[in-house]
Amino acid sequence: MPNHFLRVEGASVSFGHDEARVHALRDVSLSFKPGTLSLVMGPSGSGKTTLLSLLGCLLSPDKGSVFVDGVAVNGLSEAERTAVRQQKISFVFQAFRLFHSLSALDNVALGLEIRDPAASRRTEVARDLLLQFGLGDKLHQEPKALSPGEKQRVAIARALAGNPPILLADEPTASLDAEAGRNICQILRSQVDEHGRTVVVVSHDPRWEKFADRIVTLCDGCVEEEVGVL
Amino acid sequence: MKLALQNILHDRGRFSMTVFGVCFAVFLMVFQGSLLAGFLQAASKLIDASDSDIWITARGVQAFEFGTTLESRVREMAAGVPGVTETSRVCMAFAVYRTPIGKQQVVALVGADPTVGNRFPVPDRHESADQLSPDAVLYDVSDRKQMEVDTLPAEVEINRHRANIEREIQGYGAFLGVPFLFTSYRNAIRYMGFGSDQAMYILLRVDKAYPVSQVQQSLKQRLPEVDVLTRDEFAHKARMYWTIKTGAGGAILTAAVLGFLIGLVVVSQTIYANTMENIEEYATLKALGASQTFVARIVLTQALICGVVGSVLGLLAVVPSITYAKSLIPWISAPWWLPCAMVVPSLAMCSLASIVSVRSALTVEPGRVFRA
Repeated sequence: MPNHFLRVEGASVSFGHDEARVHALRDVSLSFKPGTLSLVMGPSGSGKTTLLSLLGCLLSPDKGSVFVDGVAVNGLSEAERTAVRQQKISFVFQAFRLFHSLSALDNVALGLEIRDPAASRRTEVARDLLLQFGLGDKLHQEPKALSPGEKQRVAIARALAGNPPILLADEPTASLDAEAGRNICQILRSQVDEHGRTVVVVSHDPRWEKFADRIVTLCDGCVEEEVGVL
Repeated sequence: MKLALQNILHDRGRFSMTVFGVCFAVFLMVFQGSLLAGFLQAASKLIDASDSDIWITARGVQAFEFGTTLESRVREMAAGVPGVTETSRVCMAFAVYRTPIGKQQVVALVGADPTVGNRFPVPDRHESADQLSPDAVLYDVSDRKQMEVDTLPAEVEINRHRANIEREIQGYGAFLGVPFLFTSYRNAIRYMGFGSDQAMYILLRVDKAYPVSQVQQSLKQRLPEVDVLTRDEFAHKARMYWTIKTGAGGAILTAAVLGFLIGLVVVSQTIYANTMENIEEYATLKALGASQTFVARIVLTQALICGVVGSVLGLLAVVPSITYAKSLIPWISAPWWLPCAMVVPSLAMCSLASIVSVRSALTVEPGRVFRA
């Protein structure tokens, strides 16, 4: 795994105009090493999701820079940032965001198709991923037939299809019960330990603390505290 | 592109509605196109059926059905123009026809010299002319009911003259709502009460050694009081008269265009609704790194699937409908290429209809994926 380094430098983001302006992030600088799981915590409105959007090249900062693997992505065009996402970054969402009309297998295969349009044996690769996550008997089920924990495992399999080095997860356990939540924590931890991926998890869930290498706490758009290895 | 297919199959109600919209549009476009094609053919059918190079008509005659008599000297003067090898006389007039059971009705009586052309439906030129009597009259099979003829030959009256209906022909059905009757020139002028050598049209054949345009020019100079047109010019003039000047063609075309527009609206509405319903999924696709082309292709594929299915169903419905319509409208005509050609505008219609939807899918903000 190459040294994929994720970094924001002096990043500020605000929304709205004049009196209605909200400062979501104020001069934030953070780095995320490969092979680490970073947990970003903080109260609602502290800027966690904005930070994740910056790291995922979904948003450009008003001020400052975002680097993915040494490349300043805030200077790139929309198409170039899409290409960075396609090659290096994947997401896991709180609401799963599976494609409702596709089976679990096709959801994962679609993730692979987006990431690597030329990939052959997409279905076989997708099947292997789902088997790894214990979903061998759910391959042809549509999302509506899956439990929340199963949906999140399908979503993680889709995120991992194409082997992206960076995984960004937004409240991945918020909709899950205790056991399913612990299972997801273990899966994401194993992606760090076994595959050296850079994983950033935004969550309120204290269960994540024992799985994280580092905990960043945001408050009012600023880094309030950083605990753990950098 | 499995996502495109599964998305539309997942909402079968909306898919059915879209397919119905395309099907309706294709049906209407092909049906109206067949009406227009048939109308254009019928408008100049008798002109096209002649073998002549040049038609001489009274000044200002717009279509075959509205000819007026020419002076008999016109034929003599035309025959004297260098390059003219043969002249034929054609006359046409409305006449009173008395059916074998005594009922009366108006018919359009057409008479022509045998030299007029092999395809022109006159008894003398008929393939088995030797079996027909000199007074033989022909009518189109589609007018059988109006002619009230049960068996052939049948003795009838035309303008109080005895006539024998001896044969049915095909492809020359009523165009004006009044049946055509065809007979020889000799009989026609007798039934119409015209003088000998009186005709409404003089048809000329030109020697191959002479350019038709040159002969036409000479005729125009020699006969300034009449119109001298090539066969194609007269056929075109007749078609333009019936389709443009009477407004009939416009009405048919309008219905075809309306079909296209209705299909366009239905398809664009349903594809747009489908896209907006799945807009979060397009945001997810973009967040996952799908290119603009990838996203656009999904929406366009959905539209084209609806277009192909709707077109096939529309064509399956319109072919028997046209076959049935032929019994009511004999001149309706669906050339083989028309249904195939209509697939192109129907797919264009679906592509056009998806433009707004493609735009919505492309402009959706991928950052919204973090909203729960």
